[in-house]
Amino acid sequence: MKVAYEKPKVEKTIKSDLELTNEEKKELYALVLKSRMFDERFRKLFRAGRFAGTYFSGVGQEATAVVPCYKLLPQDFVGPSHRELGCSIARMPLRQIAAQIYARSHSPDKGKSHPCSYGYKPSNIITPAFTIGAQAVLATGVALAFKIRKEPYVALSFVGEGATAHGPWYEAVNFSAVHKLPNVFVVQNNLWGESVHARLVAAFEDFSHRAEGVGMFGVSIDGNDVLKVWETVASAIARARHGEGPTLIEMKTYRWYGHSEIDPADYRQPEEVEFWKKKDPIARYEKYLLDNRLLSPEEKKRIEAKLEAEIEEAVEYAEGGEYAPAEWALEDVYADFKVEAPDR
Amino acid sequence: MKVAYEKPPSETPSEFGLSPKEKKELYYLLLKCRMFDERFRKLFRAGRFAGTYFSAVGQEATTVVPSYKLLPQDFIGPAHRELGCNIVRSPLKVIAAQIYARANSPDKGLSHPCHYGYKPANIITPASTVAGQSVLAVGVALAYKIRKEPYVALAFVGEGGTAMGPWYEAVNFAAVHKLPVVFIVQNNLWGESVPARLVGAFEDFSHRADGVGMPGVSIDGNDVLKVWETTAPAVARARRGEGPTLIEMKTYRWYGHSEIDPADYRPKEEVEYWKKRDPIPAYEKYLMGNKKLTLEEKKQIEEKIDKEIDEAVEFAEAADYGPVEWVLGDVYADFKADAPDRP
Amino acid sequence: MGRVITYIDAITEALDQEMARDERVFLIGEDIGLYGGVFKATKGLQKKYGEYRVIDSPISENLIVGAGIGSALVGMRPVPEIQFADFVSPAMDQIVQQAAKIRYRTGGAWSVPLVVRICCGGDVGGGLYHSQMNEAWFVHCPGLKVVMPSNPHDAKGLLLAAIRDPDPVLYFEHKRLYRSVKGEVPEGDYTVPIGPAEVKKTGKDITIVAYALMLVWGMEAAEKLEKEGISCEVIDLKTLLPIDKKTILESVKKTGKALLLQEAPKTAGVMAEISAIITEEVFDYLDAPVMRLAGLDVPPIPFAPPYEKFYLPTVDRIMKKARQLKAY
Repeated sequence: MKVAYEKPKVEKTIKSDLELTNEEKKELYALVLKSRMFDERFRKLFRAGRFAGTYFSGVGQEATAVVPCYKLLPQDFVGPSHRELGCSIARMPLRQIAAQIYARSHSPDKGKSHPCSYGYKPSNIITPAFTIGAQAVLATGVALAFKIRKEPYVALSFVGEGATAHGPWYEAVNFSAVHKLPNVFVVQNNLWGESVHARLVAAFEDFSHRAEGVGMFGVSIDGNDVLKVWETVASAIARARHGEGPTLIEMKTYRWYGHSEIDPADYRQPEEVEFWKKKDPIARYEKYLLDNRLLSPEEKKRIEAKLEAEIEEAVEYAEGGEYAPAEWALEDVYADFKVEAPDR
Repeated sequence: MKVAYEKPPSETPSEFGLSPKEKKELYYLLLKCRMFDERFRKLFRAGRFAGTYFSAVGQEATTVVPSYKLLPQDFIGPAHRELGCNIVRSPLKVIAAQIYARANSPDKGLSHPCHYGYKPANIITPASTVAGQSVLAVGVALAYKIRKEPYVALAFVGEGGTAMGPWYEAVNFAAVHKLPVVFIVQNNLWGESVPARLVGAFEDFSHRADGVGMPGVSIDGNDVLKVWETTAPAVARARRGEGPTLIEMKTYRWYGHSEIDPADYRPKEEVEYWKKRDPIPAYEKYLMGNKKLTLEEKKQIEEKIDKEIDEAVEFAEAADYGPVEWVLGDVYADFKADAPDRP
Repeated sequence: MGRVITYIDAITEALDQEMARDERVFLIGEDIGLYGGVFKATKGLQKKYGEYRVIDSPISENLIVGAGIGSALVGMRPVPEIQFADFVSPAMDQIVQQAAKIRYRTGGAWSVPLVVRICCGGDVGGGLYHSQMNEAWFVHCPGLKVVMPSNPHDAKGLLLAAIRDPDPVLYFEHKRLYRSVKGEVPEGDYTVPIGPAEVKKTGKDITIVAYALMLVWGMEAAEKLEKEGISCEVIDLKTLLPIDKKTILESVKKTGKALLLQEAPKTAGVMAEISAIITEEVFDYLDAPVMRLAGLDVPPIPFAPPYEKFYLPTVDRIMKKARQLKAY
């Protein structure tokens, strides 16, 4: 029997306008806010001991993760790292995200990976590995498949500035540049790779220079400017979708809290943290919307109330689950057989 | 007991200009590299040694010249085609012995014929994992920096090796810490059978340096004096603590990846084009034109080299393979491996 | 008698036929296209299928495997090649952290139907960096399957099975066998299942377990030993993960003596696991200690020809060890 590719299921028309409608701008606001509120809520839940493991907050970095994933096609692929809650907020049901964090039986990964390893097959977001930068390699492979099959889809991958020192990440961006693959490589420069400062990671401040080393188009932008992120990513995606090759986008941003909730982040200066808190992407975007009368204070309140309810419902859903039976540990190793459990 | 670094000696060479005598010496070294190489191609074809042979004919300038006038403490991390580094820094006998893999080989015959390395010359025996030695060179340079020593590490790869993650990690780290390394990328257009266009999205591999914030430059690697004028200041810069440099040298290997490779993936015209750009006759013409070399001298040099090569081959061929028990040594410093079920 | 071809031709034929049958299959690796592979295993395939079905990659082993994994996530059937097993180390990250774990870490949502072809093995004068047998590194990684054929029939059948398998398979091919071993190979489509070992020769005194080159040499030794009155049962393991315990244990129960052959260094190799399985499960049937004949515990394999011979578990050494075991 001859095997052929499955036919792409969507219309091949590609939206070319990069402009967001007023409605879309508001929707984007609701999404970045959802990411923030969900995140703050889960920090509290972690501190209250409501779930095991740890929690990696993405607060402060909402724009760099939420905005690039907005309005992607379902077939577009997202390769996140552990801090890309925002990607999942834009593409996944909130319940699934909450369930992932609680690691119960109804988590997308059945509780096998780790709380913040957000991934969900129906959303085409791969559950990340903790080998930083590795999802960029997978995204390159996905983009290669799209190119081989002549499909108009795009693969996004997310790393921090720290991972751009990693050999596998470089092999991936180089290969993508050589073959003009439909990739967008997002580098979120939040100045700190866990506790290592960016100055120990590269000999420059603008990580878009990485692109020059592989002959790729690269740009550095303010990652806390929601509309700037949108314009830059949307045009990069359009370029990739039209077969014009990959783009590397450095987005300068900042994580407000520690690497994880158990990290006091005392390696950073309080002044630096304060400086960046003043550049909060959500407050800035909100001000833009309010100033331009695209959002009213009443609407804002309604959105917040709606998000509260959604989050409440997601937490309830997550907490309503039990841990999976221990025997599940033996499954999902191979498709065709379970491993044995001697002496258990 | 407290352990301190050994103190370095103080001399450092500073001149980039070559004296007429040095220019002639450089010519002698290049020619020696070429003649030795062609001789060993023949010896391989005659079945005189085992394994295979990786010829570097055509690429003499990119390896001989950067290794010229280094300090003994400077370190070299070569790949398998860097015969030239050894021609400058190792005795010819030792190189020949390495290829014959006999008991008198520097590695006792354990590694591989063209894995030229020699501890007294501070050249590490390469691994076949291409670019691996660039990572080592960075580690060496880090040690120099920690100990505040005025030494330099040279790392050689082909353009193909620059696609390797480990190479990138090494150049990035060297740039961040301004380590005393000179990265030499010999772009010979082909990584075994893979053309450079499938390795980098550009023609000038010095762009790699931009990706890590390091000074980078692309030069004609077949122009002996150009290679010298570029490498010597880069070495001096590194020695002064001003950081690393990446130098792309455009060159060409005349023959296959190894002697068993017919290299039929390359167009004939390309090979012919590059043979016309042979680094050695061009340099010879320059020397003769400037009356720094006479025909008579050239003949004398050739005769001298021939004799040296004869001696080296004799030395290599006279030895036996090492006793098989040597297989069990050099695994650890403090004990030999077992040999169960062996005679 | 059917058609007889070499081990390497069987591999080329399997790739060719599967690429013709399944357009999801593509190859990526160093020197595999324009050059047709350093051993010519992919000869002619780029011409036939084009530059994006047979992709000449840069020297980026992590990418070669990692891009394969990524493409598998969205429905391709990649067959990346690692030119020499010695060069798989930069790709370990992708094989171990991604391929082996993706099904598990996603609770079964995603899978990685990937075959990494890895050219391995000694007795070819390859020296330290072109001779290694490092299959044991991967046998320690649940989530992977590891196979290694010893003859052309299995080379084709196992490769086709591997490409159609829903999980990542490391397919080791022994370069010493490429052109030295010939055998009958059906022209059409067939698979050799991943998992089962095969009794290649029945016997009553000693069970020999081996794979790849050691199987070939083990068979040669067994035939010579037969003339000395030592009857060996020889098992070709074929799949190293998961291990076919049943075939091994049944044989050892019958013979009471096991000789395990391994080209890789002795310590913590595949045969250490087989030995443990035998002693754990059929200790009462054993008439002698389980014996291993293996490579030496040195960074394999030293170059100079006498060194290499010293390193390898040769036919003579196998026979000597078998006599020792018989006499125990």
